[in-house]
Amino acid sequence: MDVIKHTDEVRTPQPSGPTRVSRRLRPVAFGALALTGAVALAACSSSTTAATTTTTKPAAPAVPKIIAPPSSTVALTETGSTLLYPLFNFWAPAYSKLYPNISITTAGTGSGTGIAQAAAGAVDIGASDAYLSSAQVAQNPGLLNIPLAISAQMINYNLPGLSGTLKLSPSVIAQMYTGKITTWNNAAVAAINPGITLPSTPVIPLHRSDGSGDTFIFSQYMAKGDPSVWGANNFGTSIAFPAIPTAVGANGNGGMVSECAKTVGCIAYIGISFKAQTQSANLGEAMIENGTGNYLLPTNATIDAESASFANATPPNGAISMVYSTTAAQGYPIINYEYGIINSKQSSSTTARAIQAFVSWAISPTGGNADSFLSQVGFRPLPAAVVAQSQAQLQTISAS
Amino acid sequence: MATVPVGTALPTASPHPDRALDTRPSVRRRRWSRRRAANAVYWGACAAALAGVAAPVVWVLAGVVNSGLRDWHWSVLTTQTVGTGGGLLNAIAGTLVIVVGVAVIVGIVGIAGGIYLAEFCPEGRGGLLRGGSEILSGAPSIVLGYVGYVTLVVRFHWGFSLAAALAVLSVMVVPYVVKATEVSLRSVPTAYRDGSEALGMPSGYALRRVVLRPALPGIVTGLIVAMAIAVGETAPLLYTAGWSNNLPTAHLFHAPIAYLTYPVWTFYNQPYASAHRLAAVAALLLVVLALLMIVVSRIIVAVTQRHSETSSAPH
Amino acid sequence: MTVPVASPGRPVPPAPDGRGPSGPRWDAAPGVIRPRHDTEGMVRWGTRLAALLPGAALVGLAVALLIEALPAIRGNGFGFFTRTTWDPGNFYNPPVVVNGVARPDGASYGAFPLIVGTLASSTIAMVIAVPVAFGTAMIVVHKLPRRLSNTVGMLLEMLAGIPSVVFGLWAALTLGPFLAHHVSPFISRTMPDVPVLRFFKGPVGSGEGLLTSGLVLAVMVVPIIASTTRDLLRQVPRGTQEGAVALGMTDLEVVRSVSIPWVRTGVIGACVLGLGRALGETMAVAMASGTVLGTVPRNVYSTFGSMAGVIVSQLDSALTDATGFAVETLAYLGLVLLAMSLLANIGARLLVRRASTTALPVGRGI
Repeated sequence: MDVIKHTDEVRTPQPSGPTRVSRRLRPVAFGALALTGAVALAACSSSTTAATTTTTKPAAPAVPKIIAPPSSTVALTETGSTLLYPLFNFWAPAYSKLYPNISITTAGTGSGTGIAQAAAGAVDIGASDAYLSSAQVAQNPGLLNIPLAISAQMINYNLPGLSGTLKLSPSVIAQMYTGKITTWNNAAVAAINPGITLPSTPVIPLHRSDGSGDTFIFSQYMAKGDPSVWGANNFGTSIAFPAIPTAVGANGNGGMVSECAKTVGCIAYIGISFKAQTQSANLGEAMIENGTGNYLLPTNATIDAESASFANATPPNGAISMVYSTTAAQGYPIINYEYGIINSKQSSSTTARAIQAFVSWAISPTGGNADSFLSQVGFRPLPAAVVAQSQAQLQTISAS
Repeated sequence: MATVPVGTALPTASPHPDRALDTRPSVRRRRWSRRRAANAVYWGACAAALAGVAAPVVWVLAGVVNSGLRDWHWSVLTTQTVGTGGGLLNAIAGTLVIVVGVAVIVGIVGIAGGIYLAEFCPEGRGGLLRGGSEILSGAPSIVLGYVGYVTLVVRFHWGFSLAAALAVLSVMVVPYVVKATEVSLRSVPTAYRDGSEALGMPSGYALRRVVLRPALPGIVTGLIVAMAIAVGETAPLLYTAGWSNNLPTAHLFHAPIAYLTYPVWTFYNQPYASAHRLAAVAALLLVVLALLMIVVSRIIVAVTQRHSETSSAPH
Repeated sequence: MTVPVASPGRPVPPAPDGRGPSGPRWDAAPGVIRPRHDTEGMVRWGTRLAALLPGAALVGLAVALLIEALPAIRGNGFGFFTRTTWDPGNFYNPPVVVNGVARPDGASYGAFPLIVGTLASSTIAMVIAVPVAFGTAMIVVHKLPRRLSNTVGMLLEMLAGIPSVVFGLWAALTLGPFLAHHVSPFISRTMPDVPVLRFFKGPVGSGEGLLTSGLVLAVMVVPIIASTTRDLLRQVPRGTQEGAVALGMTDLEVVRSVSIPWVRTGVIGACVLGLGRALGETMAVAMASGTVLGTVPRNVYSTFGSMAGVIVSQLDSALTDATGFAVETLAYLGLVLLAMSLLANIGARLLVRRASTTALPVGRGI
């Protein structure tokens, strides 16, 4: 509780970002010291050297938020989301390079397995694209979902020869996925795309056949954007897509790209990590309507604008969908936190501290949230306020 | 069917000239040529069927070899997977550990089971045991994997582990070894047993020294087949073995282990060229391993047959 | 399965006294010293235990699956077989209790499209595989020299030995696109619009679907049928065949009147066995089917979901259902699948055991 109070202070918007946050967080680190009695000052200073080598800043300000790992050898395991998998694969070797005594094994098994394995204590970190449901939290009271980074989702289409960038609204997309719009030159599509000559190609909506966090945020976008067509309650990681004859299921984001590439007239929702693939497959990327009526593409600026508008609304446990903000005029409307699912009761204090250390590094803008890592997968860093909240959640991890 | 007693036909009066009764020379010639044509068509269809078997083998193998060798680096065999890139050393080592483990388990249980069915089981009483084993081989692999996950991994708290993987895979392939052992033992002439019995050997001793020896090649072949199938399985392992970027550890429980089929299934859907390359290379290694085992089993068959032919020649 | 025989050409005589090949107990003879007779008892009981294990594993498998599936059987009822929706419900709303079982709000499962998809893909596989396997066995036994027939045997073993995930990769990346671009459009255009063949008309899709899955399944079951048929054909008495030839029959007529009646039961058994394998095949179909839920396939190019493929692709997201209903429903689906493939297996073996001399192969028929 003591920890939460500190972070509440941090949540007030601060222009000078990292410096002040970290200074405020210094007591948090010491709070952890008091809490677990394990963080040694010596270790703190060793992380100072480590961090100063990566950033050129001479002084310590940004450092204390990264907790130092234990000095003993620890092997951490991670499994879960296939969307986070590539990022963990960049993080793990980089972190082991900093601290050779910490090794992290990663696996991409899917978010559900990540959550289940973390709950069962079979892995240390479960990776998930979606936050835990209240029923899951009730079942596993110790389970935390800690925001790690921000991902966005593209809406892609395959209409060869189309000039210009198509604009799509949640209503139009929902009508395509429910079979109410069957051709691309439908009046509703034409109305929001003046000046673009639309073909009469049939619309072929693609969906994920495996359960996926992508389906979760995509269905929420339609549920929030046009509940009358899609249904306000019709969202989840695996939902019953309307059985329309042209609908096609695809396995994984990779399957979505290749399926859409060979299906003229397709519309698909694809994680932004796959942007290079969609471009080399010549898929179009739609500008989509946000909660204020603007049509935008997912860019660093629009994703950050959306995440900033949700930063203060994000509850301490991180469980929120950042879809269809009604306040961010320049916010891209389908983004989400990627979560680390971690059990707050660990078997040993060494493991607990290793997890705290690694995750605190991963979410730090001078550590794993640096652009050098995130840009490789198209992710964006957490807003400072959310970093502080994630830090606070980390502090609750202890040995049982 | 085509047998027509001579003289019963009335050459000109038959109302059905196509029927067999009609033996007019012109009709018979026409009919004969039609039968010949049907025969030719039949063999043509059979040849096409053979091509239909050969074509996919060639197509699959060519495709796998081509994509696997496209940008082959030997480092794939010596480095571990880093994320979706790097090498496959961890998967190769994991697969070998799994296969050796399965071979040990199945070698003990399967051979012992086969010995019982062939040597000890009273005639006509082993049907249930034999049937149970044979039918087990028909259980879908994903069902085994699912049950392995909910019972071993979750309920017994084994976690993603070598133990769970070995248990599920062993259950899957043990019928092959039971069957191979039983068949091989049954093909050992009874005279061997009678002879050793006449010499006063206890049947356990005779089994070990006299009966098992000629049956051994067949048993080993069955074991190799079981290993080949264990190498190529995916569905039972996805939710029992997990996956690991590291080399196998000495832990039986709570330590996920890598295997070669995982990159094929998982990496081909990843957005990176390095992942696709690993998937292609893993597919190539899988096919090479499977074919290697088939070749080894063939060699065993060939060598032992030649051996038994030459050794039995003087008698 | 090719098993080297210790003494080739010698048939295996049945045990003379009905007690197995071990014959009368050695110690029945008076005056013989009994070395290690307790070991023999241990060997007997040890091997007996080992022989019990596979059957016990089968029973354990079914029981574990049944226990896991019970809530889903109660919750879904028998409407599971007729409903066409596959809706896991909303995991983020409070769960509801239906039929005494907790489930997410709005959850409703129906396996009808999956059962149809599984049966349809397996049927396509059998329609292709049976004639191909039979023709191959015929030509191997009657036309090819020994060396070549060995090569074909090797080909069949290769087909049986190639991992199913490799077939899946081939189907997804090579065969599917090839069919969709070069074969299916032609078939779809030229097929007449009459019953049955109508299923070959319509949009050809992108290559994932029934036809691709059926073809890859056919490739996978051909070895089972072909190798069994080959072994059976080799047992057809030469004298009868030569007699038929002497009567002036063509090869085809010999096959129809002598060979087929002789091998019929065994071949049917092998086909049913192959069907069992096609029904249960997981990875290849998961990669080649498109794995859609809740849609009954409309033509042979439609994407579909198979029971096994859905278990593998849905288990992960099912784990996020806090009520456990999704996982239990997959167990129900697995139970139905297990029942179907085991029935095929048992049926095949009973058929063959009663009426044929050759035993069916185990598993993939290597």
